Amino acid sequence: MEEFTQILLLFISTVLINNFILVRFLGICPFLGVSKQVETAFSMGLATTFVMTLTAAATWLINTFILEALNLPFLQYVSFIIVIASLVQFVEMFIKKTSPVLYKALGIFLPLITTNCAILGLALLIPLNGYSFIASVVFGFGAGVGFTLAIVLMAGLREKLEFGDVPGALKGVPVTLIIAGIMAMAFMGFSGLISM
Amino acid sequence: MEKNSKKAMIITLATIGIISALLLTFVYEWTTPYIQANQAKKQKQAINEVLPKVEKIKEVEKNGSVFYEGYDASGNQVGVAFISSGGGYNGVIKIMIGVDLKSNEIYKISILNHQETPGLGARITGKKFKSNFKNKPFGDYTVVKTPPSKETQVQAIAGATISSRSVTKIIEDALGKINSAYGGGN
Amino acid sequence: MSLDFKQVVSDFKNGLWAENPIIRLVIGMCPTLAVTNTTENGLAMGLATAFVLISSEIVISLIKKLIPTNVRIPSFILIIATFVTFVDYFLKAFFPGIAASLSIFVPLIVVNCLILGRQEAFASQHSTPRAIADGVGMGLGFTWVLVLLGAIREFFGMGSIFGFTLLGEWYRPMVIMILPAGAFITLGILVGIMNQISREGK
Repeated sequence: MEEFTQILLLFISTVLINNFILVRFLGICPFLGVSKQVETAFSMGLATTFVMTLTAAATWLINTFILEALNLPFLQYVSFIIVIASLVQFVEMFIKKTSPVLYKALGIFLPLITTNCAILGLALLIPLNGYSFIASVVFGFGAGVGFTLAIVLMAGLREKLEFGDVPGALKGVPVTLIIAGIMAMAFMGFSGLISM
Repeated sequence: MEKNSKKAMIITLATIGIISALLLTFVYEWTTPYIQANQAKKQKQAINEVLPKVEKIKEVEKNGSVFYEGYDASGNQVGVAFISSGGGYNGVIKIMIGVDLKSNEIYKISILNHQETPGLGARITGKKFKSNFKNKPFGDYTVVKTPPSKETQVQAIAGATISSRSVTKIIEDALGKINSAYGGGN
Repeated sequence: MSLDFKQVVSDFKNGLWAENPIIRLVIGMCPTLAVTNTTENGLAMGLATAFVLISSEIVISLIKKLIPTNVRIPSFILIIATFVTFVDYFLKAFFPGIAASLSIFVPLIVVNCLILGRQEAFASQHSTPRAIADGVGMGLGFTWVLVLLGAIREFFGMGSIFGFTLLGEWYRPMVIMILPAGAFITLGILVGIMNQISREGK
C-alpha cells in the first residue's frame, strides 16, 4: 500500500507540482506552436501522452538491461533518441492501420513528437531519479497528462484572446509567453501540496 | 548501388552508427578519469566542510548505509560524515552531516542538493539557518519561530517553516542511523 | 571551388538578426527558458549549442551526397547526438560546475529544433564554407539572446551579472525572475520589444 501511495503522489506531483511545461520547461516548442485551438491542442496532448508512456517503459528497459549491464553509459543519448524516433514511427504506422479516423486527427503531429524535448527529457530524468519500472511508466503517463493539461489550458486562453485587442508588437509569441508566465505563477501555488 | 535502395539506407545508418559508437568510446575513455577525479574532489570538499581538519577519509558500510570516517594528520578519528536525504517542500533535500562521536555533537551540516523556493526555503543553505546545527548536541529537536532558548531548539526561516522542519527531520533521521551504526550514547 | 565571400558573410549575418533562431524563427525555446537564470549559464548553453550546430553542419555538408534522402533525418539525428555526447562528457570532465548547472539541457541539445532544422534547411544543400557561416551566425545569434536574457534575469533576480554583485545589500531581489514565471514573461517582453524594433525599421 505504501508503494501505491508513493506512485500516486508521484503522479500528482508530475502533473501539477513539477509540471513538465510550466515548471521544468520541457516541451515549449509544441506548447507555443500547437496551442491555438483547444481541439488541436488536445489531440497533440493525447498523442504525446501515448508516446511518453511507451518511451518511459522502453528507455527504462534499454537503460537497465543494455546500457548499465554492458557499461555503455556514453551511448545513452544516441540509443534513447533512436528508441524515441523508432517508437514514433511505429506508433504512426500502428494508428494508421488500426484507426484511420484517429490517424487523420493526429496525423501531422506524430512525426513532430520526435523533436519534442519533453520526450527525451522524460527519458533522461528516469535514470537520474532512479525510478522503478512501474514508477517510470507512471512518471511518463503523468508527464503526458501534465503536458496536455498545460497545452489545453493555453489553447483555451488563446482562443479567447482572438477576440481581444493585442498590441501589434506583442501579437503571437510575446503575448503567449506572457500568458505562460502567469500560468506558471498560478501553478506555483501547487508546490507544497504534498509534503513528501 | 542505387542511392535510395534499402541496402544503401541500411549501410548508411549502420556506418554512421558504428563510427559514432567508436568515437564515443574514445571520448568516454579519455574523459572518465577526469570525471571521476572531479567527483572524488567534490566529495572530499563536502566532507571537509562538515568535519574539521580531516586529512584522510575512510568509507565504511554499516547496516546497509555508507559512512565516511574522517581522520586527522595523526591518524585520530575526528568524526563521521553521513549523507541523508528526505522530502522537503519542493522535492528531495540531500544533506551531509558531520558528527563528533566522542562528544555526541553535530559539527556542522552542508546542504548538498535541494529544490526549495529561492528566497524562502532555499535559505536553508544560508549561514544563519545552518548555524542552528553548528556544534549541536544530539537530541530530539523542536522547530521554533523565535530565537532558540534551549539547545534542542531550531529556529525556522521566516516564511519557510516546512523547509526548516524537513531539514530538521532529515538530520534527526541521520542521527538515528549514525547512533545505531556506531552504538553511541542517546 | 570558388568562395563567394559576399554570400558567406550574408549567411553569417542572417543568423544574428534577420533570422535569429529565438526571436524570429522561435525555435530552441526549451533551453532558452530553462538555463537563462544566470548570465554564465546562458553563455555556456549558447556556446555548447553553437559548437554542436557548427560541427554538425560541417560534417553533414561534407557527406551530404552520400546520404540517401529517405534516411537523412535519422542520419542527421545520429550525427547530432554524437556531438552532443561529446560536449556533455567534455563539460563534465573539464567544467563540472557548468555541467551541473546545465544538467539535462545539454543532452536536450539533441532535440533542439534549431540544429536539426539547419541541417535540413541549409547544411544538406549548400557548400561547406556557407554551412560554417550559417552555423556560426545562427550559433552566435542564439547565444547573444541567451546571454541577454540571462543577464536580465540574473540582474533583477539576484542583483549580479556573471556572479559579480552589482547591486548592494539594499536591493531586495525580484525572486520571480529566477523562477519559471519570470523566464516566460521576460522573454515575452523581450520578443515583443524586438518585434517593435523591426516594425519601426520598415
